[in-house]
Amino acid sequence: MSKKSYLFAEDSFFLSRRKFIAIGAAFAAALALPVGWFSSKLERRNEYIKARTEGLYKDDAIAKLRVSHANPAVEKYYKEFGGQPLGHLSHDLLHTHFVDRTKLS
Amino acid sequence: MTATTYQPGEIQGLIKIDASKCKGCDACKKFCPTNAIEGASGAAHSIDQDKCVGCAQCLVNCPFNAIEETHSAIETVIKKLADKNITVVAIPAPSVRVAIGEEFGLGTGSLVTGKMYGAMNKAGFRIFDCNFAADLTIMEEGSEFIHRLHATVKGDPNAGALPQFTSCCPGWVRYLETNYPSLLPNLSTAKSPQQMAGTVAKTYGAKIYDMEPEKIFTVSVMPCTAKKVEASRPEFNDAWKYHKEQGSRAAEYPDVDAVLTTRELAKLFKMLDIDLASTPEYKGDSLFSEYTGAGTIFGVTGGVMEAALRTAYKVLTGSEMAKLEFEPVRGLKGVKEASVTLFDNELSQNVTVNVAVVHDMGNNIEPVLRDVMAGTSKYHFIEVMNCAGGCINGGGQPIEGTGSSWLGNI
Ligand code: SF4
Ligand code: SF4
Ligand code: SF4
Repeated sequence: MSKKSYLFAEDSFFLSRRKFIAIGAAFAAALALPVGWFSSKLERRNEYIKARTEGLYKDDAIAKLRVSHANPAVEKYYKEFGGQPLGHLSHDLLHTHFVDRTKLS
Repeated sequence: MTATTYQPGEIQGLIKIDASKCKGCDACKKFCPTNAIEGASGAAHSIDQDKCVGCAQCLVNCPFNAIEETHSAIETVIKKLADKNITVVAIPAPSVRVAIGEEFGLGTGSLVTGKMYGAMNKAGFRIFDCNFAADLTIMEEGSEFIHRLHATVKGDPNAGALPQFTSCCPGWVRYLETNYPSLLPNLSTAKSPQQMAGTVAKTYGAKIYDMEPEKIFTVSVMPCTAKKVEASRPEFNDAWKYHKEQGSRAAEYPDVDAVLTTRELAKLFKMLDIDLASTPEYKGDSLFSEYTGAGTIFGVTGGVMEAALRTAYKVLTGSEMAKLEFEPVRGLKGVKEASVTLFDNELSQNVTVNVAVVHDMGNNIEPVLRDVMAGTSKYHFIEVMNCAGGCINGGGQPIEGTGSSWLGNI
């Protein structure tokens, strides 16, 4: 065996070790999140999304009033204070403007 | 000066990855709507705050509890509750009432409005239901849509832009402001229910509560972390501006003083030894706890659209919708669409309104926005919510529907 090939062998040993560390890191991640983690996570997530959604649809279904324009408190707000939707006070208190965030410094 | 995506005064860096806990598993990247998370697989990740919209979808889905919030108002709120000179007003969002029970051993999705009010009352809050403000939002945003629609049909050159986007989700609003500023005219100018509630509590509410506005401390309770960033926007001090014009010389105060997430409200109750599960139901203490079914469905994807259609239908045709449940906008499809043809009294003609509902923004919004940019969108009204399923799955909700992270600290 020539010295050269010996060096080469040593080189390749270190190369593969580095490679091994990289694979090891990926392997650790794979261990952390087993195959199928993401899809089972989504499945569980959709289950609690559905349960909470049902809760709110139930709140709607049992409500005495189900349309915003029939809310007597809203009517009272406009009558005693706010004027009317899109009116002067609505403009000042209930509407806003937006910001071009590409131009901030 | 360096570029930033934050206005002075806004909360920055709300959501942070703890590098010592991060395993580099990449789960958070899959849930991030804005590609704000950086870092190679296996190495500690970090968040680009300029891209981040503060939604905490990464936080609630990190399997290693490595993501945290940097701002919490719990201690401040407890101090205010103890101060007898201050009226502390809780503003609970729709989604809180179907999730907070999970933190007290009640089933996932249990509807606990009365118990939540009861626990708030025990803690010393007045109750200003954000659902009332959601009804108000529909009046404003719905009127705005009808106004834009009519002006467009009549060929008014100054007609507001269509499609109109909903503006109640701060994650979505910040995303549009950061990435598509040319589409800002399409956003409804209506404030979100949170911001309407804060402003009304300190203006009209000051009369109802018979309190000086500067002694009213508003605490919104949200399924959402991005709402903290929203409340910190410097322009949201309209109640203060209003009273100033009326001659008040009080020092500046924001419309919404503090934001608690659903998780944080549960923690506050626990710190005050209040067990929500065994608390008797309470009905509320003013007209601000009166809300409709339309207001409450704001918390689910499609809910804002459904609520808006119920009211727009009545305004345009003069009669109520025969069936209030509007199925095409319900469910978990990424982009839902529907067409409604109705007789418009003011125009004396039939009009067809095309609507779309987008949730899980990161996975679904781009094609919709591309069409709007190209002028080829067929829609007139588009609801957008950042989180999959809507706010009921917001980043401030109990984790995994059980109140705790599924793996805990590993
Ligand atoms: S999900 Fe959590 S542990 Fe995994 S990379 Fe993201 S922050 Fe790190
Ligand atoms: S808070 Fe939302 S936008 Fe920010 S990094 Fe997490 S998932 Fe992405
Ligand atoms: S969808 Fe709701 S919870 Fe999620 S970011 Fe928007 S407002 Fe917050």
